[in-house]
Amino acid sequence: MSPHLTAPPRGPDGVPRRKPTPSPRRPGGGAARPGSGGLRPLTSLLLVGGVVLAAWWALVAITAPPPFMLPGPDRVARVFVTRWAELASNAAVTGGEMAIGLALGVALGMATALLTGLLPWTVRLIQPLVVVVQALPVFAVAPVLVLWLGFGLASKVVMAALVIFFPVASALSDAIARADPGLLDLARLHHATTAQTFRHIRLPGAVPGLISGLRMAATLAPIGAIIGEWVGASSGLGLMMMHANARMQTDVMFAALTLVAAMALLLRLAVDLLTRRWAPWAPESGGSLL
Amino acid sequence: MKRLLASAALLLALASSPVRAADGLTVLLDWFVNPDHAPLVVARDKGMFAAEGLAVELIAPADPSAPPRLVAAGQADVAVSYEPQLLLAVKEGLPILRFATLVETPLNTVMALDGGPVRTLADLKGRKVGYSVAGFEDAVLGSMLESVGLKLTDITLINVNFALTAALVSGEVDAVVGGFRNFEATELDLAGRKARTFYPEENGVPAYDELIYVAARAKIADPRLPRFVRAVETATAWMINHPDEAWEIVRKSDAKLDDELNRRAFFDTLPRFAKRPGALDVGRAERLAAFLAARGLIETAPPVADYAVATR
Repeated sequence: MSPHLTAPPRGPDGVPRRKPTPSPRRPGGGAARPGSGGLRPLTSLLLVGGVVLAAWWALVAITAPPPFMLPGPDRVARVFVTRWAELASNAAVTGGEMAIGLALGVALGMATALLTGLLPWTVRLIQPLVVVVQALPVFAVAPVLVLWLGFGLASKVVMAALVIFFPVASALSDAIARADPGLLDLARLHHATTAQTFRHIRLPGAVPGLISGLRMAATLAPIGAIIGEWVGASSGLGLMMMHANARMQTDVMFAALTLVAAMALLLRLAVDLLTRRWAPWAPESGGSLL
Repeated sequence: MKRLLASAALLLALASSPVRAADGLTVLLDWFVNPDHAPLVVARDKGMFAAEGLAVELIAPADPSAPPRLVAAGQADVAVSYEPQLLLAVKEGLPILRFATLVETPLNTVMALDGGPVRTLADLKGRKVGYSVAGFEDAVLGSMLESVGLKLTDITLINVNFALTAALVSGEVDAVVGGFRNFEATELDLAGRKARTFYPEENGVPAYDELIYVAARAKIADPRLPRFVRAVETATAWMINHPDEAWEIVRKSDAKLDDELNRRAFFDTLPRFAKRPGALDVGRAERLAAFLAARGLIETAPPVADYAVATR
C-alpha cells in the first residue's frame, strides 16, 4: 500500500527520470506484470471475491448463527433482488456525494500543498491547521456541520472533503519537500529561480506522492459521505443502513455495505486508471489495483 | 475428618444465614439515564433491588436499537426497549420476550413550533418533517396524516438523528416526529419556544407501552426476573406516594440529571410509569401488532405469546 517506500524510478546515473518518457512502458503491453503473478486484474478481483464469499457462506453454513447476528450471502443476495430499486437510488445519492466531495477535497488538498511548496514560509502557518482538520473527529463535527449547512447535499460533500483533504495535502506537500537533493543542487548551479525549480523539479518529482494521496483519498471518500448521512439526511446508503440497524435487518445492512465497498473499489480503480494514463512512469508497486 | 466436618458445618451456616450475596443483574437502558428510568434508579438507590437480593447494574447504550440485540446475544440480562421495536425485532428473528412494562403510555409525539405555520396536522402538507430513526416513525406519521386525509408522500421526511429540538428551532424542519412529550416539549419551553404537540394515540395510532423490559427467550424462566419486577413495582408505588422524595433520589443519582429540564420531565413522566409492570394486556398488544401489520412493517401480526409474557 505504500508507494512511498519504493524508490522512484531512476536512470543509470541515479537521477530520477523527469519527463513522462513514453518508452519504458511495461514490457509485454501490460497483460502480465511482476507482482500479479500473470493474473489479469479482473480475474484476481473475482478470485478474491469468490474466496471471501465461499468462506462467509461456509461459516454461516457450519455455525448457523441467527440472521440478525450474521446473515448468509444468500439472504443478502435476496435483498439485492427484492430491494434493488431502493438500494440503487440511495447508492446514486451517496455516490454523488462521494464524487463531489472527492473533487472538492482533492482540489483543496492540492491547493494547500502547492501553496506550501511555492511559499515555504507558509508551512508554519498552514501545517497546524491541516493537522487540526485531520485530528477533528468527524463524528463530533458532523452534527454542527448539518446545522450550519442543512440536511441536503452540502453537509455531506463538506464532510467527505474534510476526510479526503488530509491525505492529499500531506502526501503531496511531503513529496514536494522531498525533491531529489542532487537535482536541486543542479538547479542551483544553473541559477534556476524558485519558480523554475518548482515547475521543473519539485512538481514532476511529487507526482508519485500525489498519486498515493489520491489512492488513500479514494478509499476514504465513503466514510465522510456516510457519516454525513448518519447525522441527518433524507436519502443515501448511510440513511438506509440506519433504518436497517433500527429494524434489526442485518441483511439489508450488509447489502448496503456491499454497495459502499463496490463504490470504494470503483473509485480506487478510477484513480488507478487515471494515474496510469497521466503518469505511467510513476511507481505503482503494491498500490495499484490494476 | 473433624476439620472437614467443622468446615462443612461452617459452610452450611454461611449458606443458610439471611445475609446472602445479592445476585447480579445487568440492565441495558434504551438511552442515556433520564427520568424515564426513575423506577430503576429509585429501586437501585432506595434499596428495593437489594431487598429482593438483586445487585442491578444500569448501562446506557450509544444506540437505542442495540440493547435488544445485546440481550439476544447473551451480553446482558435485561434490556429496556420500545413495544413497536419489539415487534420489528421478533419479526427479524430475535429470540426475545417482553416480560414487564416501564412506561405504559406512548411518549412519542409529532411536534411543531407554536406560532409557526403548522397549526393542525393538515398543515403538514408539503412540509419537511424531521425524525430520529427508531424503526416505525413513518408508520406513526403515516396514520396520523391519514387521519386528516394526507399521505406520507405529501411531506418530506428528513432524518435528523436525535437532534430533534435543534432541527426544529433552527428552522431546518417544520415539525418533528419522535420527540418525547415528557422531554422535548419541556426542552423547547426552556429554550424560550412553545411546542405544539400532536399525540399519536389521539390521531389514529393505537395506544401502546412506550418503554418495556425484554429478556432473552431462553432465559425467560430466570428466577431473578420476578424479583426484578417486584422491586420495580414497589419503587413505582413509592415514587407515586412520595414524589418529592423520589425526585431527590433521582436528582442525587447523577449530576447530569440535576437540572430544571429533568425535574420537570420527572414529574411529567410520573403518571405514565406502569403501576402493574408485570401485567400484560393481550388485547392492547394485539391492536398494536395489527396496526404495524396494516402499515406493512410486519407481514402478519404474530400471536402475543410469541413476543410477550406476563410476570408472576
